[in-house]
Amino acid sequence: MYKKIFFLLLIIFSQLCNAQESTKKNLSADTVKLKELTVTVNIPLTNKNVVDFYRTNQFSTLDNINARLDGMSLIKRGAYALEPQMNGFSGGQLNVTIDGMKMFGACTDKMDPITSYIEPSNLKAIKLKSGTNCSENGCNIGGSVDMTLQEPNVADEQRHFSSVAFGYESISKSRNVLFSVGTGIGKWAWMADGVYRKTENYTAGNGQIVPFSQFEKTNLHTALKYNPDKVNSFKADVLYDIARNVGYPALPMDVSTAKASLFALEYSRKAIVQLKAKLYYNRVIHIMDDSQRDSLYLLKAKPVGKSDSVYMRMDMPGRSSTLGAYVQLIIPWNERNRLTLKADNYTNNSIAEMTMHMRYAGFAPEPAMYMQTWPAMLRNVSGVYVENSTYLSPKLSVTANARVDYTIDHLQSQYGQDQFSVFNYSLGKVQRKLIKSFNLQAQYQIANDMTITATAGHSERMPTIGERLGFYLFNAYDGYDYIGNPYIKTEKSNFLKFAFQLSKSVIKLNVSPSVSFLSDYIMGLTDADIAPMNFYAKGIRVYSNVPKAKLLSMDMQLLYTPLPHYSVFWLSKFTYGEINGGEAMPLIPPLKNVVAFQYQNNEFQLQAECESALSQHRINSSYGEQTTPAYSVFNVKSSYGFLLSKVALHFSAGVTNLFNKVYYEHLDWGRIYRPGRSLELYLKVSY
Amino acid sequence: MRSILFKCLVVIAISTTLFSCKNDDEIIPVNPLEGLVKLKEGYASGASAKVEIWGRKNFFAGYNNLVVVLLDSTNTKDTLKNAHIHFAPLMTMGMGTMAMQHACPIENPDEAAINGVFPGALAFVMPTSTDGSWKLGVAVHNHKNDKEGQANFDITVDNPTPSVLSVFTASTADATKLVLSLVQPLTPKVGMNDIEFTLHRKASMMEWPAETGYTIEITPEMPSMGHGSPNNVNPVHIANGHYKGKVNFTMTGEWKVNIVLKKDGVPVKSDAFFNIIF
Repeated sequence: MYKKIFFLLLIIFSQLCNAQESTKKNLSADTVKLKELTVTVNIPLTNKNVVDFYRTNQFSTLDNINARLDGMSLIKRGAYALEPQMNGFSGGQLNVTIDGMKMFGACTDKMDPITSYIEPSNLKAIKLKSGTNCSENGCNIGGSVDMTLQEPNVADEQRHFSSVAFGYESISKSRNVLFSVGTGIGKWAWMADGVYRKTENYTAGNGQIVPFSQFEKTNLHTALKYNPDKVNSFKADVLYDIARNVGYPALPMDVSTAKASLFALEYSRKAIVQLKAKLYYNRVIHIMDDSQRDSLYLLKAKPVGKSDSVYMRMDMPGRSSTLGAYVQLIIPWNERNRLTLKADNYTNNSIAEMTMHMRYAGFAPEPAMYMQTWPAMLRNVSGVYVENSTYLSPKLSVTANARVDYTIDHLQSQYGQDQFSVFNYSLGKVQRKLIKSFNLQAQYQIANDMTITATAGHSERMPTIGERLGFYLFNAYDGYDYIGNPYIKTEKSNFLKFAFQLSKSVIKLNVSPSVSFLSDYIMGLTDADIAPMNFYAKGIRVYSNVPKAKLLSMDMQLLYTPLPHYSVFWLSKFTYGEINGGEAMPLIPPLKNVVAFQYQNNEFQLQAECESALSQHRINSSYGEQTTPAYSVFNVKSSYGFLLSKVALHFSAGVTNLFNKVYYEHLDWGRIYRPGRSLELYLKVSY
Repeated sequence: MRSILFKCLVVIAISTTLFSCKNDDEIIPVNPLEGLVKLKEGYASGASAKVEIWGRKNFFAGYNNLVVVLLDSTNTKDTLKNAHIHFAPLMTMGMGTMAMQHACPIENPDEAAINGVFPGALAFVMPTSTDGSWKLGVAVHNHKNDKEGQANFDITVDNPTPSVLSVFTASTADATKLVLSLVQPLTPKVGMNDIEFTLHRKASMMEWPAETGYTIEITPEMPSMGHGSPNNVNPVHIANGHYKGKVNFTMTGEWKVNIVLKKDGVPVKSDAFFNIIF
């Protein structure tokens, strides 16, 4: 009897193992393993290879890694806190999470995407999913970026580690110190990592200093893990990030402080049925600062009878905090099926205020002008996610998933209601909305090293607080003040993706075209009836639903290893967007290629990289877009590591923008030139 | 000692219960004087009435909402509920033979008291100054005893900042002199506010009737930012020279409400304005 049960369990378990093998392939998510070391010969090309390839970039910010992930582009407003864009989707169209935890920036002008509060040293992996098939962490249409935090090692041989690293970048006199340390006793393991960065204004390729491109930041993360046995584990994370004196050359103001703290508790059970439960809280405070800026831009249209010198200062603090929890179960309910169930809930509290102080020389200060650019709002989202993978044959598997999210927006501020009465809205305090998402994915293995995957899905997303209740948000890109629409409809997408994967040991190739047919696409449309709030704003745009829009994307990654030690990596990304059946969608990057050659012999590595983009002529001039010329930039890097008794030394040196090219990318606001030639030095000492 | 304390507690407890029971059944009366201060008091000799004048703050140039309280001068605990009250404001400018006198627009209270008091209004057309002083007469016809009398007060009329009064000569053939007063918003807020004006004409030194046949167009503006606000509603005439509309303020600060006054579609005053600061 016992033997039989044991045998049965064994069969189930082996099936489970099999299942997990195939699900690994099945994942449309590209996982960037930043530190994981296991490499099997025939794994398909994932972003792990990309990051392995750019190991020498270790002291660079997360933005540098993101720029080289497939489908990912960055919207740049300064040298810091670049906003991720995936296949033409950004902002509220992307789920950006930390280990499934929701966190929201506190800046009304998107100056603090969540990626700016996370450092590569905090991260174990980045998981990307594209299109509507990203609903594991919430209904959304554009894709998801899930960042997994570094955790302490429980395995004895990797338990104790410590390292300190120094990096220097000549173009911005950027000084970086990084550390990581970990230890453990018995069933406990602990680790901490951190970064301190200070950069000054960088110089563009033409020799001109770009003012307000400096920043300074500190990031600390610590984690404690307790494994009472092989099945159960408990983990606690604390992350603290503070950036000060951050310049935004493309905006009329900078940031004096951007501060985030995150607390998380996790329980996970790794048995046949896997369980993961998480409780978290995070808080972001973002304080904008225009005290370093010239306020004389108001002079052009100064009121008659006032003096020449005018002083205008704005205080713009924003706050966002999120409390949430989720429980996830993975159940292999029979030998061919695996079910994932997830229930989650989070509550986000946001408020952003603006107080303007005006003073003309020789006059008393005028009364302060106060408004709530994001009226205090509490958003509660409860969601349920179900996914089932069926392995129909060893070659064919089908995954179906569905999610519903129930959102309650509670407008807490009477002030916010009063503000919107100006636009003839009588706002209710509470708005409720149920949204849904469902996706179907089929994967077929044509040959041993060839797979095709087809995905089809439908999803909608909630408008963001800014899109619903934003109040005179100045957009420096098009020069308009943006106003929310309290009754704006959800944005919807029908998504199709096809992926081809070749994974031979010599050549690995991913090609994935995708298309999103969007309806009720949310963007700001000009309303000539409302006057702008500032002398320098061109007019008012109200967030509105555009009936139809379309986004097409083509991503390609190629890793070719013709000879031992030599490899070539080629990343290509292209997006095409249109609104209203033909008009160009604004802020869509042109075709971009990154081609790199690498030589690696033991601990020595040499790498040459060419990053180039075509010109972008397909623009939306009514949005304020201008054409962007093509460019090519070359980078060279080398690294060498050796062991000095018990201490490992790792040294790397490189030159970015070798030919001092003067250039900017299409998504760079304000057409501010990117850094010129820069020498990078990096030294890491680990024990 | 302890027993005393205990007894006290019992008394307090019982009284609390009793009072709370009583309160439940009682309808809390409206206090018509809530938020108001007593500005003046005096006797209307002959009418056996004590006159009290209450207002939100001291008299000021512009439209003043005032409340008159009449007390029986023989028994000042007793308020008079029915009386005919007539305001008689008088400004005297200059001295001796050069002296010149005029009144200002008035809105006399109804004969029946509302909540025991008599609300009315006065629109002082100028503040008290070194060469001009205001007197306010309140004539009372006490319906209780059918006697008449008048109380007289020396008052000071303040000049508020920002001004809530605009006195001007219309660009009409007869050069009508008009008095435009801002009545509302008393406590402006961000968002949509009721805006109310009164319009009176100077018919003679003593006659200032309400004007009902004009149109008022408003354009709010924030001078230091160079912007206005959307969806304002131009005031329309309601009654007795009162014009009501809606004004929108998108933020706190110093606002300027520009006014164009029209008669039969023709502008008669285009550069009037009121500053509203909050």
